[in-house]
Amino acid sequence: MTKRLFNHCLCCLLFLSFNAASKEYLIILKDHLFYPSQIIIPANKKVKLLIENQDSTPEEFDSFDLNREKVLYPNRKSIIYIGPLSKGHYEFFGEFSPNTARGVVIVSDEGAQHANN
Amino acid sequence: MSLNQLLPVAILLVLLQVVKKQSSLQIGSALLIGAVMSFSYMQSASWVSKWFEHQGLEYSQIGLCITIFIAVLAFALKQKLAAFYIAVISTVALYLSHYIIYLTSFWQNSDAGQSLFIGTLLGSGICLSFSVLLYFLMNAIKYRFGMYPLFTLLAFNSAAKLLVALDLASQIDLITNTSTVWDLRDLLSENSELGRVLRALVGYEATPDLMSVLIYSTSSVLFVLLCYVIPASITKERV
Repeated sequence: MTKRLFNHCLCCLLFLSFNAASKEYLIILKDHLFYPSQIIIPANKKVKLLIENQDSTPEEFDSFDLNREKVLYPNRKSIIYIGPLSKGHYEFFGEFSPNTARGVVIVSDEGAQHANN
Repeated sequence: MSLNQLLPVAILLVLLQVVKKQSSLQIGSALLIGAVMSFSYMQSASWVSKWFEHQGLEYSQIGLCITIFIAVLAFALKQKLAAFYIAVISTVALYLSHYIIYLTSFWQNSDAGQSLFIGTLLGSGICLSFSVLLYFLMNAIKYRFGMYPLFTLLAFNSAAKLLVALDLASQIDLITNTSTVWDLRDLLSENSELGRVLRALVGYEATPDLMSVLIYSTSSVLFVLLCYVIPASITKERV
C-alpha cells in the first residue's frame, strides 16, 4: 500500500512539473555581500536565480520567506527557482555571514514591466 | 547556525527514544556513523552536485528526506533497531553536513575560532536543555495518555521532512510552487526563536503553498492511521 501511494505521489509530482522558460536574474556573492541586494521580480511568475559565489569560501543561500536553502560553493554558479509569488518583500541571507550577506526579493507589478522589457 | 542544524536531530532522537528506549551504545554508534556519513557526504558534495545537470545534491537530499519519513514510520510501527539506525543516520547526514561545511570553511579562513566555539557551545547547550525538557514532557504524556499523542507529534515531525523534500523539488524546478495558502510572517516569523523551534518540531512554515499543505496533512494522517491500524506496535508498548 505504501509503495502504491509513493508511486501515485511520484506520478503527481512529475505531472505537475514542467519546464517553461523562466526569466533569469544574476546575483553575485562577493566579499560576503550579495550584488544586487535587491531584486524586483514579477508577481505570479516563476523566475530563475543564478547565484555566483566569487568568494573563496562556501556560503549557504537561505530564505525562510522563500523556503529556499542551498550551499553556494566557491567560484561556482548555482541555480535556484523561486515563485510564482504574490506581491511583497521576501528576504534572503547567507547563513554563514548573516550580518553582511543579506538581500530582498521584491515582487511587484514593476517587476512585470522589467520582465517584459 | 548550530541551533538550526542540531535541533532537528535532537528532537527526532528524543521522540524515537520515547517510543522505544535504545541503549547509550546504540545511540552513540548511530550518531557516530551519522557524523562519518555526513563528513563523507560533504567531501563528495562537489562530485554529487554535478549529477543530474548540477542538481545532484538536491536529489540526494530529497532521497534522504523520504528515507527519514519511511524509517520513522517503520520504527513507530515495528520498533526495529534497523529503522532507528536508518532514521538517525539519515537525519544526521542531512542536517549536520551543512554545519560541517560551515565549520571547515570558517576554521580555514577566519581567526574568530573563539566566537565559533562559544556559538557552537551555546547552540548545543540550548539543544540539550530543550531535548531534556521535551523528553520528560513526552514521557509524562506517554504515561498519562498512551502512545497516540506521541505518534501524532512524530507524524508531524516526519511529515515536515517531506516539506523539506518538496521545497528542494521546487528549488530545482522539478515541481512548480502552487499558490500560497496563508501568510503568517507578521504573526510568527520562521526566523524568530519560537518559529525555529516550531519548524524543527512540527515543520512550521509561515508561507506554505497548497501542495505543501496537502502533502503535510495527507502524510501526517496516513502516519497516524497506520499506527492505529497496525496494532502490533501499540500492544507491545502500551503503558
